[in-house]
Amino acid sequence: MLMEVRGVSLRFGGVVALDDVSFDIAKGEIRAIIGPNGAGKSSMLNVINGFYRPQQGDIWYRGQKRESGKPHKIAGEGIARTFQNIALFEGMSALDNIMCGRLTLVRSGFWKQLLWWGPAEREEFEHRERVEHIIDFLEIQAIRKTPVGQLPYGLQKRVELGRALASEPTLLLLDEPMAGMNNEEKEDMCRFVLDVNEELGTTIVLIEHDMGVVMDIADRVVVMDHGQLIADGIPAEIMHNQDVIDAYLGVAH
Amino acid sequence: MFYREVGDYKTTYADDSQTFPIRFDRLRYFFVLFVAIAIVPLWIDDYWSNAVLVPFLVWSVAAIGLNILTGYCGQISLGTGGFMAVGAFACYKLMTQFPELNIVFCILASGIVTSAVGIVFGLPSLRIKGFYLAVATLAAQFFLVWLFNKVPWFYNYSFSGQITAPERTVFGLPVTGPNVEPWAQYLICLAFVFVLAWGARNLTRGALGRKWMAIRDMDIAAEIIGVDPLRAKLSAFAISSFYVGVAGALYFAVYLGAVEATEAFGINQSFLVLFMIIIGGLGSIFGALIGAAFMVLMPIVLKNILTGGLNWEPSLATHVEFMLVGCLIMVFLIAEPHGISQLWNIAKQKLRLWPFPH
Repeated sequence: MLMEVRGVSLRFGGVVALDDVSFDIAKGEIRAIIGPNGAGKSSMLNVINGFYRPQQGDIWYRGQKRESGKPHKIAGEGIARTFQNIALFEGMSALDNIMCGRLTLVRSGFWKQLLWWGPAEREEFEHRERVEHIIDFLEIQAIRKTPVGQLPYGLQKRVELGRALASEPTLLLLDEPMAGMNNEEKEDMCRFVLDVNEELGTTIVLIEHDMGVVMDIADRVVVMDHGQLIADGIPAEIMHNQDVIDAYLGVAH
Repeated sequence: MFYREVGDYKTTYADDSQTFPIRFDRLRYFFVLFVAIAIVPLWIDDYWSNAVLVPFLVWSVAAIGLNILTGYCGQISLGTGGFMAVGAFACYKLMTQFPELNIVFCILASGIVTSAVGIVFGLPSLRIKGFYLAVATLAAQFFLVWLFNKVPWFYNYSFSGQITAPERTVFGLPVTGPNVEPWAQYLICLAFVFVLAWGARNLTRGALGRKWMAIRDMDIAAEIIGVDPLRAKLSAFAISSFYVGVAGALYFAVYLGAVEATEAFGINQSFLVLFMIIIGGLGSIFGALIGAAFMVLMPIVLKNILTGGLNWEPSLATHVEFMLVGCLIMVFLIAEPHGISQLWNIAKQKLRLWPFPH
């Protein structure tokens, strides 16, 4: 198991966002988290990457319990994510945004960067080469020098995926990567997700509302509702689970 | 026409990420550098040195410093005047306590002292943003100036409260004090500007610069991709204050020779530097330079035109200058927040295709 979430509860004042949630994430799988709006899916991702600290429960990552930890430290441990509402750095080009994804991997210190010649420059171009591979992979060569604010939504999503991939993550968290996309863009995005998973062996946790997508690409699915975990299993089981159907379609009282 | 890119293929990442990717730009840069180093010192006189070039160079250093903090890292500061005072008084104390120490080291050491003070006053930035941070740095401005007036140790117990730079030499040439030659004064400032601008460019194009810009554009996302906000913000404060401190030291030791804290390093100077980077261009080294040039040259040009050319009352000309600066700041904030450097870039983009834009 790459990660285990054990009995996590998260409250904001009186609001219970997560209520005793436990599941695991196996190495190399695509794990989907689904559920109606407000079910606590994004909160779950925020707990996984350390942005929220749960009041109860533990996160075990690579066999070790996470003691405490700031988000920037957890990013350094190989957990990267994208956001539901795009969170790119608007003042920078697509290339610079993706280069930012490699900040945790930069080794040259202040003085080397100040001098630039030699080690810092060499390192920069090594990172640039890796980033160019990602740009090729995501097919965004033409926009690498465009400020991201000028890009259409679908491409912004791609740049954001590129930024997350640039850090060479072990665990990649995708928060609604296909929201607001048309079918063609969704197909592209699915292809990228599957390729990343297969070629790089990256474990992926994905929140998605498009059931077709989830059932096609996910290996296992967690279903949440009102902060509770209501089902966990392979897509075929989930589709016929009565609790899940009730949560989505409502149930007569 | 001028900016022909045809045939100028970039085949390495080094070529692709040059500071001046277009050949014409590169040549012009070397030409400007050549003129600044080799031609200007030959004809420079007291007027050009004292009224135009030295103040431009000194303010450039301060503007680059503030641009690192505000333009790149997004942390607004109104304490620039106070930090310049730290640089000036540190330089004065070092010059008088260690007369053997070379002036260049004195100035660099004043930068380091200012950097430490900057980190202390940068600590609130970890908790507060925007206007609130501006007010916190404003406190630094008033506190520091008050301190340098209040504690006589800083001005070596002189009766006037002024500090006066003793004569110091570089390679046997006086660069401070009453006997300084205009070209020596100019060249020492130019050397500092050149080295510091080059350093700032290196820092801002590399990993550290990306960390700062990430914090500026979206601090939460920056934290989640692995930028430590504490280190990023404090490093911006430290480096920015280093530049501002060096500017303060140059302002006192090389440019004015004698200063008094309230007069030389008041809130007006903080605003002046802020205007420079707003008009010149936030988040651009070239913007800091052009902003400094603009704010230094504009009053001189206006004065020459209005009082010299049109025979206006000097006081009226001064008022017109105030109004013009105010209007320009409003115009730039509304129409072009990235300042003159952005206008310059747009002009270059157009020139790339000129005269056949289709």
